[in-house]
Amino acid sequence: MSRKPNNSRQTRALLAALLDRSQTWRHGYDLAKETGLKSGTLYPLLIRLSEQGLLESRWQEAERPGLPPRHVYRLTASGRALAREQELAAIAAERVGALA
Amino acid sequence: MNVLPGEWRRWAVKLAQHAAWVLPGAQSPWAEAMRRELDYIEDDRAALRWAVGCVLASYKARLAGLPRMRGRVGRGAVLRHAATSGALMLVIGLALLENAGGQTEAPRPVFDETTCDRANVSPDIDPTVSSGTVSVPRDMDHSAPKPDTSCADRSAPIRFPPKYRKP
Repeated sequence: MSRKPNNSRQTRALLAALLDRSQTWRHGYDLAKETGLKSGTLYPLLIRLSEQGLLESRWQEAERPGLPPRHVYRLTASGRALAREQELAAIAAERVGALA
Repeated sequence: MNVLPGEWRRWAVKLAQHAAWVLPGAQSPWAEAMRRELDYIEDDRAALRWAVGCVLASYKARLAGLPRMRGRVGRGAVLRHAATSGALMLVIGLALLENAGGQTEAPRPVFDETTCDRANVSPDIDPTVSSGTVSVPRDMDHSAPKPDTSCADRSAPIRFPPKYRKP
């Protein structure tokens, strides 16, 4: 049986964090702190989501002088749709669990 | 010996550079993205942890993209990179382990039992040899006083008199 893509616990946590502030550009360290993911897990996920067209990225100038530009991320329209879909599925699963 | 704060940062930068080396070509912006995050992490140890993750991430990304790159980069090259990285991580781990020694308290003996801790055994009973042969010199002084095991002061070491006292 093949595994459903982008359905791991880590991916769902990342998508939920990105959906939470979907219009805001987020940077890696911020996402790592929010989701509890280590950089070794976070970046492969970001790379994969980006390759699938679910995530867009750009370089953002630093707010403080002397610091380098930073790579920032946010969900694309299809990424937002997937994240919402997963959020609804999680809510439905929670309700089914409560009824059982 | 304590680890200087700058040491953690220096290793973190080295690891991030290695991660960038692992991810060339189209994926190099990702390595650069990971490396630049280091400048925003104020805590040096957190920066080192981040950099270790960067190395892992770069290898994962490199291996994930391997089938597409098979024509240009062979599996042997990736394995060589992995071996280099492993050796580097080992050296860093050993260095940190060695340096961490100065930050911890002195090691305590694993078995810290005294005669006072033994259940149902009088502290006056001397340790006995259960097997083997013990050679005792003929001129051994048997009248020597026994050690004080009264447990009056448990923190003080038990003092043994000189056993083989010559007349």
